[in-house]
Amino acid sequence: MAVEIGGTEIVRAAALLGAGFAMGVGSIGPALAEGFIGVKAVEAIGKNPGEAGLLTRTMLVGQAVSESTGIYSLVVALQLIFVA
Amino acid sequence: MIQQLVFMVGGTKLKFNVVTIIMTWVVMAVCLLFAWAATKEAAEVPRSWQTLAEALYSAFKGIVREALGEVYGERYLPLILALFIFLCLCNWIGVIPFLHEPTKDLNTPLCLGILGFFIAHGTAIKVKGLGRYIKGYFEPMWFIMPLNLVGELAKVVSISFRLFGNIVGGSIIIIIVNHLVYSLFFPPFLNLFFGLFVGTVQAFVFTMLTLVYISVQIR
Repeated sequence: MAVEIGGTEIVRAAALLGAGFAMGVGSIGPALAEGFIGVKAVEAIGKNPGEAGLLTRTMLVGQAVSESTGIYSLVVALQLIFVA
Repeated sequence: MIQQLVFMVGGTKLKFNVVTIIMTWVVMAVCLLFAWAATKEAAEVPRSWQTLAEALYSAFKGIVREALGEVYGERYLPLILALFIFLCLCNWIGVIPFLHEPTKDLNTPLCLGILGFFIAHGTAIKVKGLGRYIKGYFEPMWFIMPLNLVGELAKVVSISFRLFGNIVGGSIIIIIVNHLVYSLFFPPFLNLFFGLFVGTVQAFVFTMLTLVYISVQIR
C-alpha cells in the first residue's frame, strides 16, 4: 500500500519535530537556572537560618522569573502542535 | 478546548468564552463567601474563618510594607491581597472535577497583567510627576529609550504568559497522564501537585511581581 506524503504531512511533521526541539532545548536554561538559584538559597539559609522565610520567598520569585523562558518555549510548542 | 459564544453586532464578531466567564463568576462568589464568613462574627478573639483572614492579612502586611513603604503599603495592601486570593482560588478550582481554571484562558492573566501595568505607571506618574516619569525612560543614555519602552511592555507579556503557561501545562500533563494510565493511579496526586502546589506558588509569584513592578516605579 503506497502512502502519499504531500506538503501538509511534511508541514505537520516539521511542526511536531519543532515542538519537540522547542521543549527539549528550551528547558535546559531554566532547569540550570532554577537549580543554581536553589543551591544559592540553601547556602544562604545554612549561613543564616533566621531569615529562612524571606530567603524562600525571594528564591521562589527568582525561580519563577528564570522559568519564564521555559514557559515561552512551552507556549511556542503548544502553538506548533495545536495551531500549525 | 474553550467553548465560545459568537455574536454578530453590526458586522463585527464578538466572541465570549462562556466557560471562563462562568468560572470567574464562581470564583468571585467563593471570594465573596469567604469575605462574608470571615467578617460575619467579627470578634476580638477570632474564630474559624476570621483566623484565616487575619493570618493572610498579617502575612501580607509585612511583605507589602517592606516593598512599598508605610504610606503606599497601606494603600496598596487591599489590591495585592485581593489579587492573591482571587488567583489562588482561580488555580485551585481546577482540582474539583468538571470545573476549569479561569486562568487556563489567556484573557484572564493578560487582563490582570495589564491592570498591574496601568496601576504601576499611574502610581509612578502620581508620585514622581510626569516630567520625572518620562525622564526615567532616558535614564542612563538617551538612545536606550526604545529598549526601556520594550522592557516595560515585555513585563506584561512575561507576567501573564508565565501564569497561563504554568496552568495550561499542568492541565495538559494531567490529561496526557490520565490517558496513559487509564485514569487509574496517578491523577489525584498530579491534580494535587499542579492544582494546589503550583497554583499557590504561581498565584504568589504573580502577586509578588505586580508588587515589585509597582515598587520599582515608585523608587
